[in-house]
Amino acid sequence: MNLIRAEVERLVARRFVQLMVVLLAFAFAVTAATTLAGSHQPSATELAQAQQKAVAERREMELQHSRCLAREQGAPPPVEDYGYLPDDCSELDPALRDRLPVTADYLAGVFTFTRQAEPLLYFLVAFLVLFGFLVGASYIGADLNSGGVVNLLLWRPRRLTVLGTKLGTLLGLTLVLSVLSSLAYLGTFWVIAQVTGYPGPTNAAFWAGLGAIWGRGLVLVLLAAALGFAIAAMGRHTSAALGAAAAYLVVWELGGRIVLDILQAARPDQLMLSTYVGAWLAGEMKLWDASVCANLTHGYCDGSYSLGWPAALAVLLLFTGGLTAAAFAVFRRRDLV
Amino acid sequence: MSGVIEIDGLRKTFHSVRRGRRVAVDGFDLRVEAGQVHGFLGPNGSGKTTTLRALLGLVRADEGRMSVLGADAPDHLARVAGRVGAIVESPQFFGNFTGYRTLRLLALAGGVPVARVDEVLEEVGLGDRGHERVKGYSLGMKQRLAVASALLKRPELLILDEPANGLDPAGIREMRDLMRGLAANGVTVLLSSHILAEIQLICDHVTIISRGRRVAAGPVEQVLAGFDRAECLVRADDLARAEELLLAAGLTVTGHGDHLVVGGVPDPVTVSRTLGEQGIWVRELTPLRPDLESVFLELTGTTPHPGVPRQPDGSAPHPGPAVIDLDDVRGVDA
Repeated sequence: MNLIRAEVERLVARRFVQLMVVLLAFAFAVTAATTLAGSHQPSATELAQAQQKAVAERREMELQHSRCLAREQGAPPPVEDYGYLPDDCSELDPALRDRLPVTADYLAGVFTFTRQAEPLLYFLVAFLVLFGFLVGASYIGADLNSGGVVNLLLWRPRRLTVLGTKLGTLLGLTLVLSVLSSLAYLGTFWVIAQVTGYPGPTNAAFWAGLGAIWGRGLVLVLLAAALGFAIAAMGRHTSAALGAAAAYLVVWELGGRIVLDILQAARPDQLMLSTYVGAWLAGEMKLWDASVCANLTHGYCDGSYSLGWPAALAVLLLFTGGLTAAAFAVFRRRDLV
Repeated sequence: MSGVIEIDGLRKTFHSVRRGRRVAVDGFDLRVEAGQVHGFLGPNGSGKTTTLRALLGLVRADEGRMSVLGADAPDHLARVAGRVGAIVESPQFFGNFTGYRTLRLLALAGGVPVARVDEVLEEVGLGDRGHERVKGYSLGMKQRLAVASALLKRPELLILDEPANGLDPAGIREMRDLMRGLAANGVTVLLSSHILAEIQLICDHVTIISRGRRVAAGPVEQVLAGFDRAECLVRADDLARAEELLLAAGLTVTGHGDHLVVGGVPDPVTVSRTLGEQGIWVRELTPLRPDLESVFLELTGTTPHPGVPRQPDGSAPHPGPAVIDLDDVRGVDA
């Protein structure tokens, strides 16, 4: 317990951590201020007009779909030109659309919470992932480099306990900060929407969807923190984690992708960590395998496939867990000279 | 009586892709009894710090048995860690933390009352500077902070690797007084240092390591006595005549320009009597007692020779008298 207290104090006292929290607060404040400045509460007339436009748009979509179905059933072509109708009428089926036009789509200069919450949350998760990785790497990297770990081991000569406590402290504090900051963040924008914007139609499905992204985002932040910690612990330096991340992104995500593309390898996206990060965060990712249709000269070819969150989570856990286990194994046997 | 520190047959080899294989410690033995202030001497790269790091569980030994306060090291070190204060080599701290915070975090981690932090800062002379950032400290102040961290838990055993590094003369004297005070209070001290005069002043026992092996160990006086050649420096009116007389008396004499070094003289009176009886008046008669520095240089083969480069472990590859038979030297062992 004493060791945990000491590590919490050590982590909170780190200037880098404090700087990152200030940056988070600054980004938060700038986003909130610009939103506040660029939004107004819609008048009853604006709302009514927007609602009418949304209804009209939905009705038009249904009409187009009906016309397409009528053509399929052999009805005579209409006298008026209703524009392009595709061969496959399901393309026009409103029920199969990702989303239908809503009132908020027609409110200009109005911050609508239900429309903006998701991208705002993605931005926060991206920042927290960066925060977790950098703080995780710097926490153990600087401690190993500055002799702090050696000093601590002279007091608590149990390597795995010391490293485990450090990782646990890092994950615990990162989780607390992530939960508090995201609640404050979304709460602030909810209030902004109430005061100078439009909250939008919030139902259980909306909150459930937002909650799922939030939960998956928090897991991703913790994985990033553990990853930064593990790589820096193995490399004995913060820069080891930064270098490894930069090298991975440039060499594999960029260079490797180009090489795999030239080689026409099957499903190259499945070999990229970014794919699993995206699939985990979004819940599902639709991808395209160009190699399936490479030899097709004519006709329809569907090379699409999807990656769900369970597979993405398994890969991310395996990757991070493997590196973390390796870091503990290396640290257990390493000569601290 | 079991020793406070016992090391038997410690071996450690470092393997590096760039530097290859390097034997740092090669079957080293050390024994420190309770209440001793034990000096641990050796040239740079001789294996001192590796030995201390292995003892404290920071480096994995390849072979050998070690124990600290009766607990096998490093496996059961945690059992006695609260009773052992240690600093190894040049201490490093997180620059942005104050000295106070550095010690406070260690106190928290070790379950030591935080009030003790102010006490040790005062003890090592950092009372006024404790709330400044460590990155603003001089090397000597960092050294004091390291000693403070070792004293924080009121240790029964203090292991200090080069505690006087970077200290000015006044700081060295303060450190010496601190060590003496601790020893007087029953703290066992293992002190590694290059400042041989300090070791001679502070320590009652000494172990000398060279090339990873123990080359001498025992009470300081006993180690020095083993190298006492019963020599005297003699200056007299007629050196040539004096040399003849002393040789005739069966003594060994070496001329050094303006003086003679006479060997095999258990009592200097022999010299003054031999010369005085023949009317030669002695102007200076100084017994040449070995000091720890000369013994250290001889045992470790690190006596500097003009034009001969020193090896990484500090030894000089000189085929002369500095090279000694280690087995013979082991006879000095107490």
